[in-house]
Amino acid sequence: MFGRKENHHINTQHPEGICTLLEVPIGQTFRIVEIKGGPGLHRRLLALGFHRGDLVSLDGEAIMRGPVLVRNLTTDTRVALGRGIAQKILVEPVKSDEG
Amino acid sequence: MKDKVPVIVFIGQPNCGKSTLFNSIAGFKAQTSNFPGTTVTHAHSEVLWRGKVYSIVDLPGTYSLTPHEPQEKVVLTHIFKEKPDLIVNVIDASLLCRSLELTLELLELEYPMVVVLNMMDLAEKKGMKIDVEELEKKLGVPVIKTVAIHGLGTKELMINIERAVSSGKAPQAIKYSREVEKRVQQLMEIFPEDFPIVANKRFTAIKAIEAETLAVDKFFLENNRAFKQELDRIRKEISNLREAPAYEVISAERHHLALKIFEDCCRVRHAKVSWVEKLDNFIMHPVLGYLFLLLIFAGMFYLIFKVGSPLETWLLKPWEALRSSIESQFGQSLLAELLVGLIQGIGGGIAIVFPYFIPLLLLMGFLEDVGYLARAGFLLDAFMHRLGLHGKSVPLFILGFGCNVPAIMATRILESKRDRIVTALLIPFIPCAARTTIILALVAFLLGPWWALGFYFFNLLVIALLALILRKFFKYSSPGLILEIPSLKIPSLKNIWQKTYFNLKEFVRFAWPILIAGSVFLSLLTYIKFDRLINAALSPFVSGLLGLPQTLGVTLIFGFLRKELSLLMMFQALGVGYQQLLSVITRTQLLTFVVFVNFFIPCLSTLAIIWKELGRKIAFLSIALNLSVAVVLSWLIRLIFLVF
Repeated sequence: MFGRKENHHINTQHPEGICTLLEVPIGQTFRIVEIKGGPGLHRRLLALGFHRGDLVSLDGEAIMRGPVLVRNLTTDTRVALGRGIAQKILVEPVKSDEG
Repeated sequence: MKDKVPVIVFIGQPNCGKSTLFNSIAGFKAQTSNFPGTTVTHAHSEVLWRGKVYSIVDLPGTYSLTPHEPQEKVVLTHIFKEKPDLIVNVIDASLLCRSLELTLELLELEYPMVVVLNMMDLAEKKGMKIDVEELEKKLGVPVIKTVAIHGLGTKELMINIERAVSSGKAPQAIKYSREVEKRVQQLMEIFPEDFPIVANKRFTAIKAIEAETLAVDKFFLENNRAFKQELDRIRKEISNLREAPAYEVISAERHHLALKIFEDCCRVRHAKVSWVEKLDNFIMHPVLGYLFLLLIFAGMFYLIFKVGSPLETWLLKPWEALRSSIESQFGQSLLAELLVGLIQGIGGGIAIVFPYFIPLLLLMGFLEDVGYLARAGFLLDAFMHRLGLHGKSVPLFILGFGCNVPAIMATRILESKRDRIVTALLIPFIPCAARTTIILALVAFLLGPWWALGFYFFNLLVIALLALILRKFFKYSSPGLILEIPSLKIPSLKNIWQKTYFNLKEFVRFAWPILIAGSVFLSLLTYIKFDRLINAALSPFVSGLLGLPQTLGVTLIFGFLRKELSLLMMFQALGVGYQQLLSVITRTQLLTFVVFVNFFIPCLSTLAIIWKELGRKIAFLSIALNLSVAVVLSWLIRLIFLVF
C-alpha cells in the first residue's frame, strides 16, 4: 500500500529526549515529533487536529491501564486515546522559553 | 429557477451545536420530516422565511471530508450528489482553531458558504476574543455569531442565508504554500478528459492526492494507468517536501493555515479556572470520578425500580380491570378472547413506553448532551475492552435493566456497526424490569433474597462470558479508543426531547403494532385450544429435557410476548396460587423454569426493535443465541441439582 513505507521510515531507537506519549509525566508540555502506525489511525488523528509540531500535554488517565486524556494545547482540544494509540505518538520535551 | 427550493446543508464537526441550531431554525418551519438511515440519521426540514421556502438538511457531525467513518460518508454523498445551494458551516467558537481545518476544506469546494460561530458564550468564558470582521475577510464568506441554545443570532443567520442564496456568490479556496500548491496545480493540468470532476478541478486534485491508501485509489489504477503513475509521482514529490505521507502534508497545510487565521483573528487571554473545569476534573478523577459514575448508575436503577416499576403496575391496573370485566361478561367466547388479546397488547405497549422508554431515553439524551457519555466511556473503557467492547456501551447495558427496547435503540450512539451488533446481541440477556419481577416473585420470595442476589450475579457472569465468546466471532479490529472529550455544557431540552420523540415514534409505529398483533394471535390460539397441542408438542423438551411439568409449555410461548406473562400464566397452568406453588413443583424445577424464562428469547418488542435497527439476520441470530443459552443453562441447573 502506498504511504506505508513513508510511515515506517523511523527507526525504533529514539533520539535523545524523544519518547512516546505514554511515558511522559502528567501536566507537562511536549511537542509531537511523529505519529507512527497505519494510515487509518494517522488520518483519524489528523482529522481530530493532531499534527506534527503541535504542543500536547497529558491531562490524566483512567484506572486499569485504561485510556489517557490528551490535551492539544495548539488547537485547545481534548481527546481520550487508548494506550495502544498513545504509544504510537512520539513527543519531545519543549524548552522552557517556548512553552 | 424561481420555483426550485434552495437546498441548504448544515455541516460541522461533532458536538458543535449544529443540531441545536438546526432545531432553533426549524422553528420557522413549514413542515418537518426525518429520514432515518441504517447507521446514521439526518434531519431534514422545510423552513419558511419571508415568503420563501428553504430546504435545510442537518448532516451528521464530521471532522473532515476524507471518508473513513459512516457519518462522514453520508456527508460526502450528500455534498456531491445533491449539490447544495449553500453550505452553512457550523463551528464551536470555543474550538475555533481546530474547527477551521474543516472550514478550509469546505472552502475548497467553492460552493456558496456561510460560517456560523456557535457557542459564542462558551468562547467568551474561555477568554477568547474573536474579530469577526477580520475572519470574514480572511475566509471570504459571511461569519455570523450565534448562541443556538438561547436562540441568539438565528435571525441574522436566516438573513445571511437568504442573501447568500440569492446572490449565489461562491468563495475562493485559500491556496497552500507555494511548493505544495505548485504540485496540486500540476495535477489539475493532467486530468484525463473523462475524469469525474467533483466541485472543481483543484478540489478534485487535492482529494485525489489525499486518496492515497484509500479504496478510491484502486479505482484510479484500474481506470487509467498513465494518470495513476503521474498521480503517484506528484504524491512522492509532495511527500518529499515534508518527509511525510502526501495526505499528511496536505492536512498539515490546512492545519497551519487554520493556525495562522486563528492567530490573526482571535486573542486569548487566559481566564481563571471556571467551576465547569473544576467539575470536569472531579468527574474525570481516577477515584472520585468512579464514585460519581457509580452514583449515576445508582440513580438509573432508582429510576427504574422506584419510579418505573410502580408506574408500570399503576398503568396496567385499568387494563387488567378491563380484562377481567370482559372475561366475566363474555366468558370464554371468541370475542372475549380477542378483546383480551387486544387489551393486553395495547396495555403492554403502554407499560413499556411511559414507565421506561420515555424517562430512560430522556435521561440518556441528557447525559449525552451534557457531555457525560463520552466521559463515562473514558472511565470504563479499560474494563469493557476486556470484554471486546468500548466504554461507550456501558450506559446502554444499564438502560437494559429498565427495558431492553430503548437500550437497543440507543445503540445508535455507537459509531461502529460491529460494536452495535455485539451490544445489541448482549442486551437481551440483561434482566429487564419485567424479568426482575419474575426473579423477585419466584426466587426472592420463595427461595430467599440470597438466591435472588446470586441469580443476578450469575446473570451478569453469563453476560461477561457471552461477551468473550462473541468476541471470538466478531473480530475486535478497532485499534483502540479515539474519543473527543467535548467540554461540559448545559443541555438543550429541545434537543433531548426531539431525540426521544423520534425514537418513541419509531417504537409506536413499528414495535407496538407487532406486540398487539402477536397478543391477539395468541388469544386466538388459546381459544381454539391450541395450547394443549403446544404443550404436547413441547412436552419432550419441557418435561423430558428440563424436567418441568408438561403444562408449563404454553407459558413459555406467552413469555415471548411479555416476559411477566410467563409468571401469570404459570399459576394458571399449574392451577395453584402463589403460596402453594412449592407444593406442586420442586425447588429445582422452579430454578430451571426461571433460568429458562429469563434467557430463552428476547421478548417480541425487543426482537422487533433488533430487527428494525440491525436487520433480520441479527434478529434471528439473537433468537438462536438466547435459545441455546437458555437450553444449556437450564439443563445444567437441572443436572447440578440432581447431583447435589
